[in-house]
Amino acid sequence: MSSDLLVTTLLIVALFALLGSGVWIGLALAGVAWTAMALFSSRSAGDAMAVTIWGTASSWTLTALPLFVWMGEILFRTRLSEDMFKGLAPWLERVPGRLLHTNIIGCTIFAAVSGSSAATCATIGKMTLPELKSRGYPEDMAIGTLAGAGTLGLLIPPSIIMIVYGVSANVSIAQLFIAGVIPGLVLATLFSGYVVVWALLNPGKIPDIMERTTIVQKLYASRHLIPVIVLIALVLGSIYAGVATATEAAAFGVVGALAISAIQGSLTWTTFRDSMLGATRLYCMIALILAGAAFLTLAMGYIGLPRRLAEWIGGLGLSRLALIVALMGFYIILGCFLDGISMVVLTMGVILPTVEKAGIDLLWFGIFIVLVVEMAQVTPPVGFNLFMLQGMTGKQITWIAKHTLPMFYLMIVATLLIYFVPQLVTFLPHQMKMG
Amino acid sequence: MRRLLDSLYNAAAYLAALLLIGTLAMVLVGIFGRMFGFQLRGTDAYAGYCMAGAGFLALAHTLTRGEHIRVSLVLEHAGVRGRKALEVWSLFAATVLSTAFAYFSVRLAWQSYVLHDISTGNDATPLWLPQLAMAAGAVLFAIAFVDLLVGELTGTRVPPPAGEEPAHVE
Repeated sequence: MSSDLLVTTLLIVALFALLGSGVWIGLALAGVAWTAMALFSSRSAGDAMAVTIWGTASSWTLTALPLFVWMGEILFRTRLSEDMFKGLAPWLERVPGRLLHTNIIGCTIFAAVSGSSAATCATIGKMTLPELKSRGYPEDMAIGTLAGAGTLGLLIPPSIIMIVYGVSANVSIAQLFIAGVIPGLVLATLFSGYVVVWALLNPGKIPDIMERTTIVQKLYASRHLIPVIVLIALVLGSIYAGVATATEAAAFGVVGALAISAIQGSLTWTTFRDSMLGATRLYCMIALILAGAAFLTLAMGYIGLPRRLAEWIGGLGLSRLALIVALMGFYIILGCFLDGISMVVLTMGVILPTVEKAGIDLLWFGIFIVLVVEMAQVTPPVGFNLFMLQGMTGKQITWIAKHTLPMFYLMIVATLLIYFVPQLVTFLPHQMKMG
Repeated sequence: MRRLLDSLYNAAAYLAALLLIGTLAMVLVGIFGRMFGFQLRGTDAYAGYCMAGAGFLALAHTLTRGEHIRVSLVLEHAGVRGRKALEVWSLFAATVLSTAFAYFSVRLAWQSYVLHDISTGNDATPLWLPQLAMAAGAVLFAIAFVDLLVGELTGTRVPPPAGEEPAHVE
């Protein structure tokens, strides 16, 4: 038994050595899995690897992933974010913090058609950052709120990380999507509330209104929001009404995004080809990690690590809150060094039995995981929203991280909120019509 | 040789992109089938096969474009010589692993062919056909790693083009 423990420890050390030395994540996972299987099982590791990876890579539930990725790549190449800015800006003139809210509301709306945090951040930021700068808004607030609000791309469906979790934990992706809606809106409200409070405390820092608009003008400007709202209704509405699975909604989304792109006149052969190749590469990147992780999960089963971890943690007699706080701390640290998808697939195979044994609902846990992954997006040294904004603004990553810190705290607040009021997560999924 | 390899990676990537369209088409056909009451057997399974093909065939192209994720924290702070050593090491490890993956992927497709393995779903596809895409993609992936390793050792490795598309992370 103790020699098993020793080998397990060595495997974990080997994993971090491989990852740290720069071996591509999917391959590093497969390498450790191979070693584990060779040590703990008489089954041929190579054959098991090929069969497992084939099974994961060709599974129907996963097909939602490349399609949502593609939809995001199409929308990134349209004028959707410009239109959203035009539609939103007139309404925000009188709110304390004024156009800073375009970051948050823009990300919230765009998150409902995009599955990714960094893409949400980039798509909204390429519009709002120059606009806010030219109007004299404080740069630290503009960039900080954008980095934080961009993470809503994960929590508000569709969401790539939810698909990854749903496939790993065998939880309905459609239910996960719907479960993310209220927590997403709560988090967006927290972000906006922070901007309001900040603006009231720092009255001189928000520039004056440039032009006043009448209510008629405001309503007329809102026409720019129609395409995105139709797309949201198409994708999320069809899931919520139970008429479409997540994959089918993703297919509607791709067709809808292409239609918007065509109507706007931004659909050319070049943008179509680029969106397709871009989506293929992004999907391929994720698929390699998923493939390695599928094999690692199989190997973990042979070692019995998940079961023993569950027994060990169960034996500690932690309260559920203590367990959740401990897991949050663990993921925040892990998130400083790993990207969200790797973090989820790497740990799910090991941690789920513990979570189930503690009586935590796996649907609720999915939303919890998405929240901690959001935190990972904005924690240095490895945080993709930070990388993205570094590329877009040329600022130092530590500077961006510092100004995103209030958003990070608000994410912790949101996590505690869904712990104490779990209905925020479970209410909508329970109302869903199951098709 | 250089041009041959590059065009191989690119051709596979375009094939992968076509398979992505295939995935969409299969899902759409399934939806229309349900709406208008005609049933084409196995569209779900075909969508899965197309997706798998898209993922595997794009592996090499995605690698040469530098878009597969790795932890670059240590690499960036290792200095010139340390960085070179780490690059050689991780390319070597990746070559070994991807070659093993290629070997066993080919073997899986071969065994499915010899044993007449047929999908258990209602599509009843002979499995070697879609698995061929996995085998081809995995072999190309291994070749790409050998290619990069040789380039790194001989100092002729071309750095990937700087990412002009920021959307390429989750």
